Amino acid sequence: MGTDSVLACTGLTVGYAQTPILHHLDVHIEHDESVAVLGPSGSGKTTLLQTVAGFLVPWEGEIRIVGTLVASPTKVAPPERRSLGVVFQHYALWPHLSALDNVAYPIRRRGAATERARGEAGELLDLMGIGALGDRRPDELSGGQQQRVGLARALARRPDVYLFDEPTAHLDAPLRGALQEELAERRRQTGAGALYATHDAVEALAVADRVVLLRDGRVVQSGAPVEVYEQPVDLWAARLTGAASVLPTEALASMGQALETDPDGHAQVLIRPEWAALPGPLPGLVTQVWYRGAHTDYRLQTPAGDVVVRRAGGPCARVGERPGWALHRCWPV
Amino acid sequence: MRRSRGWERSGRLVVGLALALLVGYPLVRLVLAAFADGPEPVLATFERSGIARAVGNTVWTSAAVTAAAVALGTAGALTIERGAVPARRWLRAGLLLPLLVPPFVAALGWTAGYGPGGVLDDAVGVAVPQLYGPVGVITVITVNAVPLAYLIVAGALRGRAEPDLERAARVSGASVRTALWTITLPLLRPALGASAVVVFVFSVNSFGVPAVLGTPAGFETMTTVIYQNLAFAADPDAFTRVLVLAVALVLVAVGAVAVSDAVAAGGRVRRTGGPAGTTSAHVTTQGRWAAAVAWGYVGATSLVPLVALVLLALTRAVGLPPAPRYWTLQNFADAVDGRTLSSLGHSLLLAAVAATLLVCLGGLVAALERSPAARRLGTLATMTFALPGSALAVAVLLAYGSVLADTLAIILVAYLGKLWALGHRPLAAAVDRLPGDVHRAARASGAGPATTLITVVAPLLSPALAAGWVLVFLFAFHELTMSALLYGPGTATLGVAVLNLQQLGDTPATAALAILLTAGVLVGAAPLLVFRGTWSRLRRVD
Repeated sequence: MGTDSVLACTGLTVGYAQTPILHHLDVHIEHDESVAVLGPSGSGKTTLLQTVAGFLVPWEGEIRIVGTLVASPTKVAPPERRSLGVVFQHYALWPHLSALDNVAYPIRRRGAATERARGEAGELLDLMGIGALGDRRPDELSGGQQQRVGLARALARRPDVYLFDEPTAHLDAPLRGALQEELAERRRQTGAGALYATHDAVEALAVADRVVLLRDGRVVQSGAPVEVYEQPVDLWAARLTGAASVLPTEALASMGQALETDPDGHAQVLIRPEWAALPGPLPGLVTQVWYRGAHTDYRLQTPAGDVVVRRAGGPCARVGERPGWALHRCWPV
Repeated sequence: MRRSRGWERSGRLVVGLALALLVGYPLVRLVLAAFADGPEPVLATFERSGIARAVGNTVWTSAAVTAAAVALGTAGALTIERGAVPARRWLRAGLLLPLLVPPFVAALGWTAGYGPGGVLDDAVGVAVPQLYGPVGVITVITVNAVPLAYLIVAGALRGRAEPDLERAARVSGASVRTALWTITLPLLRPALGASAVVVFVFSVNSFGVPAVLGTPAGFETMTTVIYQNLAFAADPDAFTRVLVLAVALVLVAVGAVAVSDAVAAGGRVRRTGGPAGTTSAHVTTQGRWAAAVAWGYVGATSLVPLVALVLLALTRAVGLPPAPRYWTLQNFADAVDGRTLSSLGHSLLLAAVAATLLVCLGGLVAALERSPAARRLGTLATMTFALPGSALAVAVLLAYGSVLADTLAIILVAYLGKLWALGHRPLAAAVDRLPGDVHRAARASGAGPATTLITVVAPLLSPALAAGWVLVFLFAFHELTMSALLYGPGTATLGVAVLNLQQLGDTPATAALAILLTAGVLVGAAPLLVFRGTWSRLRRVD
């Protein structure tokens, strides 16, 4: 934990009624860092965001924002006193206000006069590329435009930490990429931290400097995206972060594959699709082929079990053929 | 536009005809009768008799009731649906309790609890000043109207001003108070307007409360003056006064609806995005305090009057303290004689027939409502609920009195016209919520139209059918306003029996009969709560 943390959650235990949801959770975000909390639904992502935002009171532990204590079992700062910008899962735009007034709202709450707040809000909408739509009500905007308004509203708060609840889950792929870039750009300018809650591994790996895997309210693994993807701590973490084939070490060795000895003595290895190649010396029967445009995935039936192999370009083998395959790397789990 | 099929056309004809016969024709007869000799006699009657004062009393008490009930209902909805309160479900049930207590029973309960010689007077020597008169009338109607406002505002809180919209305001830097004023209340504006109209019309229509608390103090409203003139007055002008008041009553009620429609037309906003968050389940100290205040309100306004009424019914004679040594069941025996039993029979019969007929009609309208013409019919049917019962009863008497006077049939006609909306609304709502593709999915799975209706549509709609039936049954069972004007020798309803006992001055017997009536309603309402559970278990998946 650096002294530079913009957000520090320490030993956080939170729950509803008598049921704890988060168990002694530690999550820290450094200056200018973005952290993705990745977990399936029910893992406690939303509870974590709600506690940080100030809508739930922790049973144990504390939360500090830029060093200031904002939540402990005895002291709770209300949401409006926390330096946070939140982008809600379904945007939560106010339907009775225009896009411009939605964005101007946090600026007004800072004490700015209506005209100045609207001016500043207009600049933010311009930045998001929807400056011309300021007069429209949320229901007159497309999903992507609504989200830009939600984002502009969070930016308008000029916070130290941004919270994103499933930030781009409801957008189609091209829009997603564009928005993620805008987000990262703005954040870097101000040095604020960001906490993303998402169940989408592709998104988490792409947007975050660090990924925290959450299961049943506990941290399973925390590390750089490459680290959690290539060196998952267990099978659950491996499956959560991307496509994964698992083969028994012994059977793989008996097929003639040379393997480094694993000091921990794991009995299985994880194989990401792009860690294997086609064709190669190992035996395998193609049972399924998925052409995905930029690359093609093949499911091979091998003496050690099924494995999925990825190869750039269009299909080069058909179901029922035996092209053989090669293994470049694997990770014991 | 697709061509309508034969059964749809005849269905529309049946519905239109029923609406015309039950409501349209009687109203036309009413207006024609009132203006039979041109407008001058109407205006003259208006000026001469004390009618103008009754109109004034109705309007200002209703305005006061509206302000108080909407404020209390909104505060209750915000506290219970949004606040961090313990035992939310029970608190909600407590606040809705007045829905199950007939208003005139509530008025009797208030006199037993807080009136001179009431329980509170006995215990600590304090009686609510001016319980008889405008203060009491306004207070008790307000208590009965709060659940209406609550239901409408709570529905809007769930559907429009969702928790995440408030949370977004809080994290944008707004305090609880600022979020309430800038986000929640503006979003609730259409619901506040709608609940104001519903409460205002409810108050204008109410007869039982002013009859029990207003008339003894000489404080008359339009509905009590109609009753006095129709039931007791002997002079020839009396019926003219009734007609003029009935028309004025319709104008006040319909005027309120029209004004609100005009105002509400601009204020609609459409929400975007998916469901925006749920109310958190944790309880705070503040929530406990709010719950305590709410329970205090429920206790003082609903429980104390009911308990006082029970004690009064159990006590041997008026004036004795309600102590166990003076308790007796004699009052119940006195109350239940041959006449009250026959009036109980009338109420049960009327309620069952009205409920069955209206559910059938409601089902027909709901089935037809996919076409615009039938949709308008549905809207009309819903609006009949705003018609003041006193006015409708006078109109029905004019239209069908020559044939049906002093029969149960004329009371039934009035019930059908007035309560149509209650049988129709739950069904229409259920049809609206029916996922559009369920019957297509059944057809695509190989079911014919009849099989689809029996295996898919009917099971999905049956809770709503049951809810509509029970609602109509309950309202018809404790109905007083219209039957008090329409009953004849041998066709009194249970509500009328209670009112007559009360006017005879037999207080303990009145209390006993009122308790029996309320107990019947509570028992009858039980299936409604059960079916509510069934319905929520049938929530649609998206």
